[in-house]
Amino acid sequence: MPRKKAVTAESLRFFPRSYLSTEANKTGSWRFLKPRYEEKTAPCSAACPAGEDIARVEILTTQGMFKEAWETILRENPFPAVCGRVCYHPCESRCNRGEFDEAIAIHSIERFLADTAGRNEMKPSLERLTSKKQKIAVVGAGPSGLSAAYFLALLGYGCDVFEASEEPGGILRWGIPLYRLPLAALRKEVAQIQDAGVRIFTEKTLSKGFIDEAKGRYDAVFMGSGHYRSGDMGVPGEDLEGVEDGLKFLQKMRRGDGLKLESPVAVIGGGNSAVDVARSALRLGSRAIIVYRRRRQDMPAFPGEVASALEEGVELMELLAPAKVEQDGKDLVLHVRRLKVTGEDGKGRGIVAPDGKKTDKIRVRRIFSAIGEGPEDPWLEPPQGDKTAIALENCLLLPRGKNPVVIYGGDLTASIKSVVNAVASGKEAAMALDILLREGPKAVESALRKFRVGGGPSLSMEAYLKGPRAERSPHVVAYPEINKDYFELARRLSQPRLLIEERRRTFEEVELRVSANIAIREAERCFHCGLCDQCDNCYLFCPDLAVLRDDGIHKRRINYDYCKGCGVCVVECPRNAMALEEEKV
Amino acid sequence: MKKVLEGSQAVAEAVRLAGVGVISAYPITPQTHIVEELSRYCADGTMNAKFLRVESEHSAMAALIGSASSGIRTFTATSGQGLALMHELLHWASGARLPIVMAEVNRALAPGWNIWVDQTDSLAQRDTGWIQLYCENSQETLDTTLMAYRLAELVNLPVMVVLDAFFLSHTYEPVDVPDQKKVDRFLPSYVPKFQADTKNPCAFGPLVAPDNYMEMRYDIARAMDDALERFPEVEDEYARLFGRRYGAMEPVMCRDADIILLTSGTVTSTTRLVVKDLRKKGEKVGVLKMRLLRPFPVVELREVLKGAKKVAVIDRNFSFGASGIFAQEVRAALCNLPKHPAVFGYVAGIGGRDVTPALIEEVYWKTRKNKLPEKESVWMGLKEVSDAARRQ
Amino acid sequence: MQLDVSDREYMYSGHVGCPGCGAAVAMRFLLKALGDKVIMVLPACCWSVIAGPYPQSTLRIPVIHSAFETGGAVASGVRAALDMKGDKETTVVTWAGDGGTFDIGFQALSGAVERNEDFIYVCYDNEAYMNTGIQRSSSTPYGAWTTTTPGTEWKKMRKKNIVEALVAHRIPYAATANIAFPEDLTRKAKKAKETKGSRFLHIYASCPTGWKIPSEMAIKIARMAVQTNIFPLYEVEGGIKYTINYKPKEYPVREYFKLQGRFSHLTDKDLAQIQEMVNEDWEMLLRKAGERA
Repeated sequence: MPRKKAVTAESLRFFPRSYLSTEANKTGSWRFLKPRYEEKTAPCSAACPAGEDIARVEILTTQGMFKEAWETILRENPFPAVCGRVCYHPCESRCNRGEFDEAIAIHSIERFLADTAGRNEMKPSLERLTSKKQKIAVVGAGPSGLSAAYFLALLGYGCDVFEASEEPGGILRWGIPLYRLPLAALRKEVAQIQDAGVRIFTEKTLSKGFIDEAKGRYDAVFMGSGHYRSGDMGVPGEDLEGVEDGLKFLQKMRRGDGLKLESPVAVIGGGNSAVDVARSALRLGSRAIIVYRRRRQDMPAFPGEVASALEEGVELMELLAPAKVEQDGKDLVLHVRRLKVTGEDGKGRGIVAPDGKKTDKIRVRRIFSAIGEGPEDPWLEPPQGDKTAIALENCLLLPRGKNPVVIYGGDLTASIKSVVNAVASGKEAAMALDILLREGPKAVESALRKFRVGGGPSLSMEAYLKGPRAERSPHVVAYPEINKDYFELARRLSQPRLLIEERRRTFEEVELRVSANIAIREAERCFHCGLCDQCDNCYLFCPDLAVLRDDGIHKRRINYDYCKGCGVCVVECPRNAMALEEEKV
Repeated sequence: MKKVLEGSQAVAEAVRLAGVGVISAYPITPQTHIVEELSRYCADGTMNAKFLRVESEHSAMAALIGSASSGIRTFTATSGQGLALMHELLHWASGARLPIVMAEVNRALAPGWNIWVDQTDSLAQRDTGWIQLYCENSQETLDTTLMAYRLAELVNLPVMVVLDAFFLSHTYEPVDVPDQKKVDRFLPSYVPKFQADTKNPCAFGPLVAPDNYMEMRYDIARAMDDALERFPEVEDEYARLFGRRYGAMEPVMCRDADIILLTSGTVTSTTRLVVKDLRKKGEKVGVLKMRLLRPFPVVELREVLKGAKKVAVIDRNFSFGASGIFAQEVRAALCNLPKHPAVFGYVAGIGGRDVTPALIEEVYWKTRKNKLPEKESVWMGLKEVSDAARRQ
Repeated sequence: MQLDVSDREYMYSGHVGCPGCGAAVAMRFLLKALGDKVIMVLPACCWSVIAGPYPQSTLRIPVIHSAFETGGAVASGVRAALDMKGDKETTVVTWAGDGGTFDIGFQALSGAVERNEDFIYVCYDNEAYMNTGIQRSSSTPYGAWTTTTPGTEWKKMRKKNIVEALVAHRIPYAATANIAFPEDLTRKAKKAKETKGSRFLHIYASCPTGWKIPSEMAIKIARMAVQTNIFPLYEVEGGIKYTINYKPKEYPVREYFKLQGRFSHLTDKDLAQIQEMVNEDWEMLLRKAGERA
């Protein structure tokens, strides 16, 4: 009898067994909140007057992408080797990591990147606009003039820079001492600016008529001639021999003159120039005394500079104001009035008044005045009270109808007199000029607003050139927004420095190099506030596997077909690079 | 070859011959000899199988569900309380369509502790989707266990081979133990129709909503129907190889009987003798041995009983609040026939009490005397309890 | 800093876990560590539903759903069958909730471990019978509200220490793990995979729905449980050798409790008492790990 076939087909058709995936179930429909990637602004980049994309620089550094990190700086600042050495780093004061353990040594990393690029002779590839027909004249090849020319070149304009001295650099060449900024580092960055298409004409001192003569040859003139004169002390005896302008002394130093110096010397003033003069004098073998009318903490000089000076043996005499200078044989006697602190102003700066009739005498061989700086010539000064002038954060624009636009920048107009503010003013001037030439003067202020970093005042050229930074939210990430679960306490790098004895006898650079290892480790301490550094927490912790890796800008995207809007990704993002918003029904 | 074996040993021999791969059992009197025997086989290499010494009957069935889902032939045995503990998973095994075979030694349920024969335990599980076969002697037990595997794997339903406590499990009888080669022809290696497989992953037993569950349950019903339909074919093949068959039921002297006694288990053996005696006295009586309870052989039963005037069901079990369970099944099978015998229900031998020839004869005469049953269930052989004793 | 966890996925999207479900995250990490040569036994728990209704399955491995209390027993059967078939590659894993492990499933688990069955038992612990509506289990922590310990009847029994109970069986490997520490979890899962005999992983899996916390806090709270010593990360080898895997920040327990609605009724006095209990347990663990005299 033939065997019947197996009965499976008949009574095993419906059977509790699952064989399809759940992907048919689009759980995205459950959502009432929706996460998305939203890069925001790191406080350091908002604090940086040049608006450098610092958090991004640190991310690239951790990935060993030094060239890309360096280029990221160059988009906003052509002087990383300089600023990494001499900037007062307001970025580090605002660094969120500072509230956790210690602020990131941003300037050390910046310098490391610039030095590495220099050592390996890297050539940057930066975005630029197509060439334009307009030409711009720049007066002064200091940080503001060179920056303005550099940014204008990126915007497509031909620039001619006129420099009175024999070499470009301005205060970087003729002011800041070698132990802070070696010549080679400066020369490399100037050369890079020239590579960008900027022409520099040295030993060209311009006269007052230059602005009028510029019509027809140039469409705009940028006045970046800086401050090369110290203010007068305003006391009897200040024109005696041996009483000198501190800034002029520094310039002589940089020319190789003034290698012999008597001892002791007094330096009047409390700014960076005063400290530079004192520390230089010390290295020439003199005993240097800084005489300042307020207290140490009120000195406008960078606190790090003051500390270094005192370490090296510079003496500081506080609460003294010069009254009179007298000659006594080879010596100069500096008569000073004693002051006392009667209160503090809103910023904590001491308010001083004469302390009765108390006076003192300081016997020195030379006196350097380093107070109240100003431009060489009065015609270089920006005009006051011109109603058509557009006053921006760090520069002043004078649209003059059919005549070339005149822009004043750098120390002439900057809110804070520093290298990075000079760079900021050059950038601001370049962007403002570009807007003015294309859309007219009335458009300038409102147009610039779009490119302010974190709500301003710094500007981003990368954003102006429509780079990815343009998409960032201006919200500045605050410390409470960082998820500290993902960070362990770690010491800040300690910058190696020359020993004090060595520092006293040489103009060699005080701060020494750090290795790539150390730079990377320091960059890893950075929270990368507001920026995605591809840590993958969002991808990892999603209960619905709704974060997919792809080749897009963030290297991942949210699969909204399945995302239930639980928000875990947003909370576990250590650096607030995501946002959670209401789902629109 | 012929051996003298206890019912327990007969089960063990059949399990050995069937090439079972995983055995998982928890001891309970009077099933213990089965598991001890199998344990010995696994330990001394007589069987190439894993013996899982689980910590309860519930876990025994659970382990087999795991093993059977992974594609291997399985076996367990239990009794009374153990079967009751397994209840949840008996439903699971059939719902999962797993061809598990279990020897179930009918034992009374507690309280009071009673290790002797009573069919209430297995009959209380008649709704669980297991095929149930009731055996009368050791030979039948061995043969039925082998047939059980064949049937189970044919229709993907689990099978319970039921045997009486002590009267069958612990009684020695001559048994012809078949040769392995012949058994292999009847029962080749197990080829599962589905199994957990990392190369073809799927999920067994997921959440099923009302929109699909009913069809799955209907398929179980269809499988039971298929089992009934294919049952003779399985027996045919067994008979061809081993010369024995038992049928879903065995009618003895029923063709011209006025009264048919309906029995199951070892009571059948006693009843055969009683019926022989009664026939000698001229009574037109027969005995119908019920073997297959699930699926219930309605058509065949109707055919066998239709000619009789009365059928007397002897139940060694009871469904409280209703009646003896075989009686219920018989009544249900007959009620739609326009003409059918009256069904007299008797309850006897509960908790291992002896069902003697005299008692069976009394059942016959009671049935003979009354036109219709006096009650739905008549309990036989109860002791008289005096009022004084009751008041204690 | 990028966490070091494998890229492969063994789960599909589209499952019906609650938003922020810690159990889904736990499964995802476990399978990343174990790979796809796994047969999973899945007794009744939230994952019975999350795994997908017929005919869908959210897992890329074979799954045998099983009755609530049978996790240890069904796995024993699967392993026996695989051994008989000569399969040496496939790992048998039971994936159960706290109910199916600590309570109704404890007998089968204990039995399997006592027999040293060769399988990995993973308990993902959301600290109550969540699937049936947030009723208390013996894993519910001291102080918690559940639907069966409501109001003033909040749970005044300590959480059963399941790892210790299994360590008493001299289980070859037992470890705690936490969804906020994926590298630790995957390391332990891999170690379990390489070990023979019974292995147990106790994974802390937050439940926003049952704990009355916002869904986005699921991972953060899991991490806080470790940082407050409420759920220390440790492993025990051979039932003897204790190793504490992570030295937590030791925040006060208040930091953990204040984030969760299920503990909102606790007073300062209750919290102080709980702090003492946690300190006591931590001290005991340190002693067992040989880090205290």
